[in-house]
Amino acid sequence: GSCLLRGYHGGHVVIRFALGGCANRPFFRIVAAHSRRARDGKYLEQLGCLDPLPNSHGEKVAGLNLERLRYWLGCGAQLSRPAEKLLGLAGFLPLHPMTVTGAERLRQRRQRERQVGAVPVDGQGTAP
Amino acid sequence: RPAFTDEAVQALLYKMTGIDLHKVFRPVKKELKPPQYRLMTEAQLQQATRKAIEEAKEKLVMPPVLEEREPIDDVLAEDKFLEGTETTKYVFTDLTYSTPHRERFIVVREPNGVLRKATWEERDRMIQIFFPKEGRRVIPPVLFKDEHLGNVFQQDRHEDLLNKCIAQFEPDSPDYIRVHHRTYDDIDKHAKYDLLRSTRHFGGMVWYLVNRKRTDGLLIDMINRDLLDDATSLITLYHMLHPECQSAKEAKEGKLQGVDLIKVFVKTESQREGYIQLALQAYEEAMATSTAS
Repeated sequence: GSCLLRGYHGGHVVIRFALGGCANRPFFRIVAAHSRRARDGKYLEQLGCLDPLPNSHGEKVAGLNLERLRYWLGCGAQLSRPAEKLLGLAGFLPLHPMTVTGAERLRQRRQRERQVGAVPVDGQGTAP
Repeated sequence: RPAFTDEAVQALLYKMTGIDLHKVFRPVKKELKPPQYRLMTEAQLQQATRKAIEEAKEKLVMPPVLEEREPIDDVLAEDKFLEGTETTKYVFTDLTYSTPHRERFIVVREPNGVLRKATWEERDRMIQIFFPKEGRRVIPPVLFKDEHLGNVFQQDRHEDLLNKCIAQFEPDSPDYIRVHHRTYDDIDKHAKYDLLRSTRHFGGMVWYLVNRKRTDGLLIDMINRDLLDDATSLITLYHMLHPECQSAKEAKEGKLQGVDLIKVFVKTESQREGYIQLALQAYEEAMATSTAS
């Protein structure tokens, strides 16, 4: 074939984030691509986007083409972990267990820090 | 109860709007092109006028008058343990091309873990971001705030303001209704009815005034401009909407037409009787002198 058509051995379709944008200004495109392709390389279809920086109303804008997403999931595409977490937050998939675990770990770390912060002030706190 | 969309109501409002071809096809600010001249016979000119009237009818289609929409507050999921992980909210929009905008899923995940449907303002913003419509901005222009509307009214640019409002907001949004009502109030206060006369906003204005029974200024303006048919159709519309009032019953009993209808209406319903009587007198004198001469 032509030298533009790269032939891969193995690999599968994944739905993942492709990073774009400029310096200090990331922008993710939610993309269905072969797993062996470069992260920002040629993809099969763009299924949406995510802007990780909050806008003037304090919201992070994300768009998801649910109809095409359902098509690719039906074709047997896999999801990357950040994509799964995002779809769990959106409500399309159930919440990812790591989101819950991460939230729990963060809460425990904050509690520990608060206790450690309380100890020098009080002089008597529970041992960490 | 008759609604805005009934055929009889629409017919009356359309008749009152009038078709002034010179105003409808007034030059809109576009790029400058030299004027085109065409040589036509009488018959061709009449045909061109008829075609122009057809196109004017399409331009004069009235924008819908709807009630204010109910705010959305529907919670889809509550996950309290997510509290504290994020500092900002996430707004997810469904980008399927074939769904109508009204049925699109737009959900918001708040930092406290609650997954709720987006409010109407958020919905409009997101739909404008992903499916931009011409003439609409993501954040509504500052022009539509109350303090700046006064400036626009002083410059007599009510029609442009209403066109921009139709382009920017949905017909059932509170901003659309507020701007329209403010415009109609200002026009009623200063009796500038002629500004909207051959435009598509006239019907909406008449509907607003008749619903609130503030038709006197409009009636005086119509009589002063010798538009008696419009005055009678205005009163017929009033009777259709308020069938329980005095003049409606008298008109139905007597089956009055024309000037008598107006006189009955003036005696029973109007607040500014004196002015309307004066205007009627002036009109009758003008009719008498014109028929005499």
